[in-house]
Amino acid sequence: MNILHLAWLLGRPAKSRMAPQILTVSAYALVSAILLIVLGGAYSFTSFEQEAQGAYLPLAGFAVVLLVVPLMVLGSAAAKLSARANDRALSSMRLLGATGSQITLVAIVQAAGTAFAGALAGVLLYLACAPLASLIQFQGAPIGMAIYLPVWVLAIAVFAVVVLSAVSAAAGLRKLMITPLAVATRRSVPVPSWIRALITVGGILVLSLIFSSVGQVAQSIAMMLAVIIGGFGFGLLVLNLVGPYLVSKVGASKLKKAESPQQLLAARMILENPAASWRQVSGVAMASFVAVVGGSGAALMQATPASEASNDWYDYLPGDIFTGVLVTLAITFICVAASSAITQSAGTLDRAELYSGLHRLGMPWGTMNAARTKSLMIPALAASIAFAIASTLLVLPLAGMAVIFSPLTVITVIVAVLLGLVLVRGSITVADPGRLLASRE
Amino acid sequence: MLENSFGHPPVLHAQDLYRSFGSTTALNGVNLEISLGESLAIMGPSGSGKSTLLHALAGIELPDSGRLMLNLPGQQPVDIQELADKARTKLRRQSFGFVFQSGLLIPELTAEENVAMALMINGTPRAAAIARAGQALVALGLGGMEQRRIGQLSGGQMQRVAIARAQVTGAMVVFADEPTGALDSKTGAEVLDILLECTVGQGKSLVMVTHDPSVAAQCDRVVKLHDGQLISDSRRGTSALGGDVR
Repeated sequence: MNILHLAWLLGRPAKSRMAPQILTVSAYALVSAILLIVLGGAYSFTSFEQEAQGAYLPLAGFAVVLLVVPLMVLGSAAAKLSARANDRALSSMRLLGATGSQITLVAIVQAAGTAFAGALAGVLLYLACAPLASLIQFQGAPIGMAIYLPVWVLAIAVFAVVVLSAVSAAAGLRKLMITPLAVATRRSVPVPSWIRALITVGGILVLSLIFSSVGQVAQSIAMMLAVIIGGFGFGLLVLNLVGPYLVSKVGASKLKKAESPQQLLAARMILENPAASWRQVSGVAMASFVAVVGGSGAALMQATPASEASNDWYDYLPGDIFTGVLVTLAITFICVAASSAITQSAGTLDRAELYSGLHRLGMPWGTMNAARTKSLMIPALAASIAFAIASTLLVLPLAGMAVIFSPLTVITVIVAVLLGLVLVRGSITVADPGRLLASRE
Repeated sequence: MLENSFGHPPVLHAQDLYRSFGSTTALNGVNLEISLGESLAIMGPSGSGKSTLLHALAGIELPDSGRLMLNLPGQQPVDIQELADKARTKLRRQSFGFVFQSGLLIPELTAEENVAMALMINGTPRAAAIARAGQALVALGLGGMEQRRIGQLSGGQMQRVAIARAQVTGAMVVFADEPTGALDSKTGAEVLDILLECTVGQGKSLVMVTHDPSVAAQCDRVVKLHDGQLISDSRRGTSALGGDVR
């Protein structure tokens, strides 16, 4: 029996694993549709005049690059969820003598197959959403028919999603142990250290320096964009270094104050693996960062005297950058919500025996669900607030006090934080143990 | 309600319990009375309905038909069959204690917090719950291990934590499903001694599923199931009643 046949036998649609399968395919469909809409938007920029393309295409490329990270996180989560939903079959195969690498290959083929189904559904979703997305205005006119990509681009995008899912599945499966007796999560608990805090402070100082001198350094728009994009990249790096440290600090504080069973359990769940908690919510922090820095960047460009740019296309640039920031935020939130739903569902399935057992002992499903929800929302809230504040401090020299108090930026930040949290909170209801496990029993 | 040989009305009274899964009959007209302060072992071959009976008696799963009355001292009798799922969940956490083979301890919590959790779910403030949990662990010989995570404990220590959790709420009935099944014989004997001391030793009832005759021999009473039917009911020091006890 070859790997493909085996992967189909174990991974084909079945009633027992319907919920995780639908969830995974939907998540891939969502991300594929988003990717295609962003590509469609970027593709429409190629109709702009040459000089405008020089400014718009790098920005569009930056937005696409931002999407790759949540896509990878999602792919890894989806692969782990697939393996979880299939744990008994995979363990039985090990018992029958299949090697670890054969099992990994089967799991990767399954993930790629699921991603392919999801990507095809994503193309349909993209075609359904395209009329709405075509109304977004750049250069003073709606994108219009330019949102529709050529067929060969669609094919490449589908292929890219499948390849990315396979790569991230391989990475995700390294954290699972598929033994002849069970599928278990490898537990390696990194201890966040004060060094992270030091790097952050240093990072913020360096970034402040970059942003404060950007006006003197940037002789051209392209140069300024390059500095801003470089700053973003460095900022995101700092963000990922400090994130687990912040999460562990918040978790420790919550543990001290915990009074209810759900508060105690949530705090302990956060502290169990702060790095994993951070990974789940890092997108929300990234959104805060993008909102504040991107929003301020757009405001700065709006403040630039018109005489510096004589071209008509430049008049639209600040507004268009702001539109781009909003679109990027929306996309980031959707990706975070999808990956949170998947990761939390995988987590619930991972702990199915414990959750069901605790329910038998008399622990209400509601208590377990509240603990699970808090273990995600506490770091999400902390990340959003902390990084909105940090980003605001960061752009003080860039845009000046006037921009900080510009209603546009402030409203963007608040709406970004609220939308992100509401969306993530809503998405994780699918992982409610009471719903997910009670139906299995 | 009639009093039995223990001088109390039965704390649990099951009448004509039937339960089937598809074409398999797990319980076939089981009648059983369990007294306060009594230890009862449920034995039988695999698939005889032992765990189904334990789950039914504990209100975890409802039988298809029959009647199950809980009669705790100083409380109104409760017809468990009539309770909705949420009410049965509440009943389990307030009136029953459980010790399962797998322990079912929460890995993220310390030993002390696992025990305290049973009290906190019932509304005890955290500080008081932690204090009582600490005392319970010390009483079971786990002093100094209160702050250990579950992964840092041995199998026997884990079961002691589970026993502490089962008795810290003051539950008058403790259900145990193969509590020594995953332990070596020496540790198993120690855990069983502790379990009996914490339950019947304190006037509580213990209902235990076991496949081990030496474990069952330490209980006041042993009932045997076969194909969902109670085929014998014997008390320690007396010969088995044998035959049909329905």
